[in-house]
Amino acid sequence: MLILVSCLLLFVTALALMALRVTQQTARFSWLVAVGGAMLAFASVFIWLAQMPFEFALPPWQPFGLFVNPVLFRADGLSWPIALSIGALTLSIMFTAVARPVNTNSFAWVGTLTLGGIGLLAVTADNPLTLLLVWGALDLTELIAQLASVEGSSNNEKVVTSFSIRALGIGILLWANVVSISLGSALNFQSIPAGSGVFLVLAAGLRLGVLPLHLPYSPDSSLRRGFGTALRLISAASSLILLAHVPAVGDIRFAPLLLAIATLAALYGGWMWLRAPDELTGRPYWVIGLAALSVISALSGNPLGAVAWGCALILVGGALFLATVQQTWLNRILLVGAWSLSTLPFSLTASVWIGNLGFFIPFVIAAQALLVAGFIRHALRPSGRDTLESQPGWARTVYPAGILLVIICQLLLGFIGWDGALQVGAWPQAIIASLLTFGLVWATPRFRILNPIRAHWVKNPAASRMDDIYGSAWTIYRLLERVSQAINVTLEGEGGIMWTLLFLVIFISLLTQGIP
Amino acid sequence: MSAPIIWIVIPFISGLLTLLLLRERVSPLIAGVVASALSLIALIFPIDTALLLGSISIKISPSIQFFGRSFTLTTADGSLLAIIYGLAALWFFGTEASGTANRFVSLGLMIVALLTASIAVEPFLFAALLLEIAAMLVIPLLVPMYQKPGRGVVRFLIYQTLAMPFVLFSGWMLAGVEASPGDINTTVQAGTMLGLGFAFLLGVFPLYNWIPMLTEEAPPYVAGFLLWALPTFTVIFGLGFLDRYVWLRTSPQLSSAIQFAGVFMVVSGGIFASLQKHIGRMMGYAAIAETGLLVLAMGLQSSQVINVTFLILIPRGLELSVWALALSVIRRKAYSLRFSDVQGLARSHPMAVAAITLSHLSMTGFPLLAGFSSRLALGQELAGQSLIISFWVFIGMLGLLVAAARTLAVFVMAGENKLWELNESWMQMTMLGLGMIGLFILGMFPQVLQPLIVNLPALFDHLGQ
Repeated sequence: MLILVSCLLLFVTALALMALRVTQQTARFSWLVAVGGAMLAFASVFIWLAQMPFEFALPPWQPFGLFVNPVLFRADGLSWPIALSIGALTLSIMFTAVARPVNTNSFAWVGTLTLGGIGLLAVTADNPLTLLLVWGALDLTELIAQLASVEGSSNNEKVVTSFSIRALGIGILLWANVVSISLGSALNFQSIPAGSGVFLVLAAGLRLGVLPLHLPYSPDSSLRRGFGTALRLISAASSLILLAHVPAVGDIRFAPLLLAIATLAALYGGWMWLRAPDELTGRPYWVIGLAALSVISALSGNPLGAVAWGCALILVGGALFLATVQQTWLNRILLVGAWSLSTLPFSLTASVWIGNLGFFIPFVIAAQALLVAGFIRHALRPSGRDTLESQPGWARTVYPAGILLVIICQLLLGFIGWDGALQVGAWPQAIIASLLTFGLVWATPRFRILNPIRAHWVKNPAASRMDDIYGSAWTIYRLLERVSQAINVTLEGEGGIMWTLLFLVIFISLLTQGIP
Repeated sequence: MSAPIIWIVIPFISGLLTLLLLRERVSPLIAGVVASALSLIALIFPIDTALLLGSISIKISPSIQFFGRSFTLTTADGSLLAIIYGLAALWFFGTEASGTANRFVSLGLMIVALLTASIAVEPFLFAALLLEIAAMLVIPLLVPMYQKPGRGVVRFLIYQTLAMPFVLFSGWMLAGVEASPGDINTTVQAGTMLGLGFAFLLGVFPLYNWIPMLTEEAPPYVAGFLLWALPTFTVIFGLGFLDRYVWLRTSPQLSSAIQFAGVFMVVSGGIFASLQKHIGRMMGYAAIAETGLLVLAMGLQSSQVINVTFLILIPRGLELSVWALALSVIRRKAYSLRFSDVQGLARSHPMAVAAITLSHLSMTGFPLLAGFSSRLALGQELAGQSLIISFWVFIGMLGLLVAAARTLAVFVMAGENKLWELNESWMQMTMLGLGMIGLFILGMFPQVLQPLIVNLPALFDHLGQ
């Protein structure tokens, strides 16, 4: 029931903001309502600790013979840290909203709170049916929130593309269920058959929210910071929780191949993140890199590691992406994120390399070092140019509190509350990764290849490659469209009935040949 | 009073009177109330069971004789009648909002009454005749007064009419098969005849080309009603055949043929839908794909065949009615339903666009929407039988998803600075809003259908037992 309380606090707050927006557009206490709701929800997630593990089930679906699994949510050592991270991120977005140029009750606030609530439901989903339903809700919420806040046909098209790709991820999870049943048992997170594991990884990958690469907001849009961060990170977290249930390498088909692809993705994400001109442009690569590390942890038989990377994705990334004000002390405090990513003992990610990685260890360490070095580089030279000078005194206090909140949560999760806390972990690997990171940080300003300064009018090569892929897909699609038109014209034209009967005869004769 | 009089004669006469006597604005309300009342009566009063109301005893007798034919509705038919008239009421209440002509509700009531008669008639082969009469009654709905019928309408009539002799012949031959089950030739001929009859009736691939033609040229609301009503009753008729003839049920050849037909419909419907540039045609192809799912459900070798079939049938009525209503709203504003004419309409008609999108997504089996639970159930049952069939069904649903995404993309591609505004009337917003809420309720809590579904297996003596 506590799960429902936390979510309802966010949903009711979002509803209240909607009502305020309709009835009193200029209400000055809207922000207080938003922060109040987010704060209560965040506090309520801490209360989960008193009762964990616990479950919450909705009335079972009927007929019972058709629906084996109930809609069930579970708070435990795997779901709590991600739930806490989502709660912290939601509150932090509301706190830091005071520094944004457009600081009024908007759809973005409603969207952020709703996403937070659905995110909590997603990470506590205890079986694929529940996760599918929550993913559906998440996708529709994102779709509505984004369509309500973007302008221009091209940006709107991007929103639909992103929705379709995530819906495809839902389809893949459904297919995993079908495969599991064909192998003899309905899919549930407690016993995932080897044949289904690969589809779970694929579904999570499609739903990370990195395609299309960039959000449909103009680079100077304030939505890109607050709402954009919630969109990117909560979407990714709701997918990564699936990885915590993926079977280990030995139990999954094509596992070495998957591990190799994930390692390549981690290296690619890390490299692009390190060389990104600013943190918002590099955000999709941050998600790709950390998600790939999460996949690697999951495949190495370490679900705790997958969860830890998921928390780092939200908390460390959240602090960086929300920091828009140039304050030297705050920029330095952001570097706590490097500790959280270091995998050193008692850090947030201390438990990530406990599993068996074998041949892939050096590559994984390299990917981790690239991501941490990129983080340090972006933390020390944030692109944000907002100022608190014109803000009242309370706003100057509230803004840093928002950033500090997610940083404190990073430290806190290293010590309490879940199965990955207080871990010494694989410290020799952590030390090697840290040394490599320092090397990269030292080398970045010295070697041009590590730090390309790109003029803003030069098109991003990754985006250009994606455009090429989209272009090829469109060409194939148009070809199929022409074929379909030809068939339609034939069957619906003057001689359509004769053609139809001819086809019918052909089909019957083909079928009867195959049937004894 | 007997059940056939209540659920066949009364709605038929109501339809006739509505056509002759009532004014344009009142008739949808009256027809909706009549259908709702019939649905409630079916839910509350069991047929052929004495009910004491104070000192008055009420009993609805199950059958009447008409020209030597018997029309029988038993206790088990109660849930089915409640579903049919409940969904019909939904269509009739939406008529005013869709702007469809008055005769829709009156002819609609008569069509539903005739189709109900098709499930009540004994010998049951006469159902084919009643289905044909119902199909003919649809024609005045599809063709505006004093206009030539379009090619889709003509083809619809040709295919429905061709179905009748095949079904009647097969019935005659099936009697022979029952008498001498060892006669392979007669069995094969009867099976082929029956298959062809149902292929024409349901619009099995490639006999469905009238559907997209019709959804392109006819009013969307009428086309949607047709796509709901005829396949629904044809499926019930088909289930009756499967239930009655043991050899049909157990024949591996027929089972394979049903599966092939279903898969072809789902895959071709889904893929063709994804390649259309007309949102009316898209609805037609989506309906074809869903009929394919129904065919697959009928062919399941499982005790859950009835549950799965009705789990698809009930949300189908809601999906199609919401979709068709939204298309009607759009069609009144746009020149045509082609992509080029509806581009950017999401900002001026958000409710209609949301309704189209949600109905379409529901048909693809998107979680949280009405179609999800039935696709999940069917997918699970199919997975136990054949992974290859499941894969093709997945491809078909993927095609529908692509179609939904394309439609949505076209609707939202508005120019810069185009403001959001609500241009739908309050009636349209209410009906569309209620429909969308219904889609979500059925998606999140499919168990609300359980009281209706639980007694349906009793309709059939052998299927699902």
